[in-house]
Amino acid sequence: TSPEEFFKSGHTNNWAVLVDTSRFWFNYRHVANVLSIYRSCKRLGIPDSRIILMVADDMACNPRNPRPATVFNNANNQINVYGDDVEVDYRGYEVTVENFIRVLTGRLPPSTPRSKRLLSDEHSNVLVYMTGHGGDGFLKFQDAEEISNVELADAFEQMWQKRRYHEVFFMIDTCQAESMFQKFYSPNILAVASSKVGEDSLSHHVDPSIGVYVIDRYTYYALEFLETVTPGSKKTMGQFLEVCPKYQCISTVAKRTDLFRRDVNKVLLTDFFGSVRNVELLPDSIHLQNATLHTHSEDSSDVKSDKPLSYAQQFPMPV
Amino acid sequence: MPGEEASEEKDKSIQHTAALSFGFICLIIGIPLWWKTTEVYRVNLPYSDIADLSNTKFQFTIDIDVVNLEKSWTDKDLTDLSKLLKANLADDRKVGAIFPKYRVAVRQAAEKQSSDVTSLKTLAALDDYFHGEESSVNKYLIVLMPVNNAVVKQTTIGNYRAVYLPAGKRDLKTVSAEVTEILHSVLVREDALLKSFQNFLGAREPKDKASMRSLSYHQGYDILFTLVNPQPDILDIDWSIKVAVEAYLSPMVKQLSDYINLDIKSQMLFFTGLRRKPHKDKKNSGFYYEETDLPHTINPLEANLGSHASNNPMLNFIVYVPSRDQHPLHIVLKNGEKVKTNSFLSPQWGGIVVQNLPSPPPNSSLPVRVTVDMKTVMEVFLTQLRLLMDFNIQVKKDLQVREVGNDVIREWELDNWLRKKCLENLATSISTLQSLTALLEGISNIVIQDDIGQQVENAVTGIKEAHRHLSSGQIARAFTQSRKALASSEKAFFDPSLLELLYFPEDQKFAIYIPLFLPIGLPILGSLFKAIKWIKTKRKQKAKTE
Repeated sequence: TSPEEFFKSGHTNNWAVLVDTSRFWFNYRHVANVLSIYRSCKRLGIPDSRIILMVADDMACNPRNPRPATVFNNANNQINVYGDDVEVDYRGYEVTVENFIRVLTGRLPPSTPRSKRLLSDEHSNVLVYMTGHGGDGFLKFQDAEEISNVELADAFEQMWQKRRYHEVFFMIDTCQAESMFQKFYSPNILAVASSKVGEDSLSHHVDPSIGVYVIDRYTYYALEFLETVTPGSKKTMGQFLEVCPKYQCISTVAKRTDLFRRDVNKVLLTDFFGSVRNVELLPDSIHLQNATLHTHSEDSSDVKSDKPLSYAQQFPMPV
Repeated sequence: MPGEEASEEKDKSIQHTAALSFGFICLIIGIPLWWKTTEVYRVNLPYSDIADLSNTKFQFTIDIDVVNLEKSWTDKDLTDLSKLLKANLADDRKVGAIFPKYRVAVRQAAEKQSSDVTSLKTLAALDDYFHGEESSVNKYLIVLMPVNNAVVKQTTIGNYRAVYLPAGKRDLKTVSAEVTEILHSVLVREDALLKSFQNFLGAREPKDKASMRSLSYHQGYDILFTLVNPQPDILDIDWSIKVAVEAYLSPMVKQLSDYINLDIKSQMLFFTGLRRKPHKDKKNSGFYYEETDLPHTINPLEANLGSHASNNPMLNFIVYVPSRDQHPLHIVLKNGEKVKTNSFLSPQWGGIVVQNLPSPPPNSSLPVRVTVDMKTVMEVFLTQLRLLMDFNIQVKKDLQVREVGNDVIREWELDNWLRKKCLENLATSISTLQSLTALLEGISNIVIQDDIGQQVENAVTGIKEAHRHLSSGQIARAFTQSRKALASSEKAFFDPSLLELLYFPEDQKFAIYIPLFLPIGLPILGSLFKAIKWIKTKRKQKAKTE
């Protein structure tokens, strides 16, 4: 594709907010879900500085984990999705409804570090992925609280009012997931859910050596699709929304395209999952005149300091 | 027995008086007290002012001075020219949310000026002469050059605030039309200003290239210069970046220090590179990237660039020295021609320039020390910086613009930038305040503390002050006020205390209050009714007995 097309898509950077709302050992599969999506996003080009990962992070070092420091998403144990370059931004008890809404709306306390902020602007495409246990109209956060679909819709509306996104792709893999996007009313949101209201999303398979289910059905088949995508791929969102038909997923995948302005069959998958940049070639440059360059002696590399270096006294001893 | 009846009556009256007093306290004192204490605290905000702001039409004033050096034009010609110009510039455009007001003054040049100008031999000298004489912020000088002047052959725009027009044989109408055209398309650009103002107010029109490429205004930008050296064991690269930044970039940073804070850092990255494999050039022995390869080179590199601590947007400028197995590396256009600057930029992110440094000769001791030519590199980076920070203005081909040289930013470009950013900041502040009021009207559970009220007041005052300065033509002050208004409105909107977390549907509110109030409320109401009935019967009895 020619770079002129990129300018038509209207976005210049990509962000991802990946949330796993459950904790405890028996919810292993939710952690595997979100880490697999995290890996796909990174592989397709979104850097860690623009991914906000919220995970309870109690799997890898859980005393019940027979393979410590690893999280697998497949019984074959082929890929360790935890690896050694996973950057978790909100871990453990920081994964709360309040923090999630604060991240989305940008109302964080001034002391929050940059890596925990969603610094998107009106040219950003944001991917929001949520997984965990849900019900009709709510999503359970860490067994202690819930987020309702009305709050989520209001949070997206505040993002729209403050021009914090160009387009949002909302992906949710929980039971009765469709209810979470039913109340959305802000423009430019494309949403897909793993099950309709009244249906449960099911997990895919169990790993007998670990003893828990390791991945959910919808995410498993979505990953199968994403594995075939490369950064330069031409696959469309329309194809992605058709992933996991009923005979594979058992629950019905629901989607919401009425708020989305473009035709999903013409939107590239990498518009949300990857981070393809626009570029512009520079045909000519300004001409500078040689300014007088003062060469400081400290710039040359063969300046030696006079005093030899030494360690400071750790325990100042009495003389 | 009558004694018993009397004491029974007394008991009853005490009971009913007690019931009445309970009912009185509950209804008259209790309910208002409960209402007041469960009220959401809200400071008074200037809602009417904010609503007015969205309908305000912002006027910005520009001063134009026309100086005539062409001797054949008389004073009467100049008066006619002045009338024509004023007619052309006044309101032939639709009055939108922002509109310009021009103050035009036409005069003959002094004798001394004419003789001085004939002695100047270069455009630079001419520019410097008029810069010293009359230039001031937001005031533009149109110099009508005499017909036999050797320096100015066609309409030229200088680097400060002067435009040189060879008036000579032209008639008044063409000159006036040309001046109007220059003002509308280069110096003031009302259409672009109106479009960006409406965009920032919330119009969401499809964007053009220039607005998508540049960063929107922030208190500061972080600029990071990186040298990427994939083989430091072969080439020991010396780039005197500190010296180069001080020599070429510091004047610009100083010029902008009142308006925006540029924080400059530099770093070197080793053993990494642009991981995309380049194509092999079959004709010469070299390698090349096509334009379609370039988007994929940025992401692998960005992971290594390192994140930084501030919340300001970052611009990355990278010098890439190819590894010896990809040397020399060029970027080519679609027709196979090499790009002259061997560089490309990514909108809102930064730019990359590929420097092909000579390979070490055989049998030399590795690593070989080589030096990067900082002048060419800084030329590319400064051009990209001008584009990314929205200083660059596309000028039509028939207008000549003087080379900008080491100044990097022309003064009229700075004026344009100040005006545009000021209006954008005002639009953003107004839309933020409007969303804040919409939010507060929509959700009734949000508390507004005093300091947020103060911030909103500051924002509204800032916007009004900025408008006042804009109408009097002082764009620098208007810009500073707009910056303050933007900071205040953003602070008010993004205050952490404004989080409306709990969505309380009305039925849940009932569920909370009913177990508290119903067990007490029913008996009190019941006894109240009974007491009132008893008073009524007593009154009837009294009326009967009387």
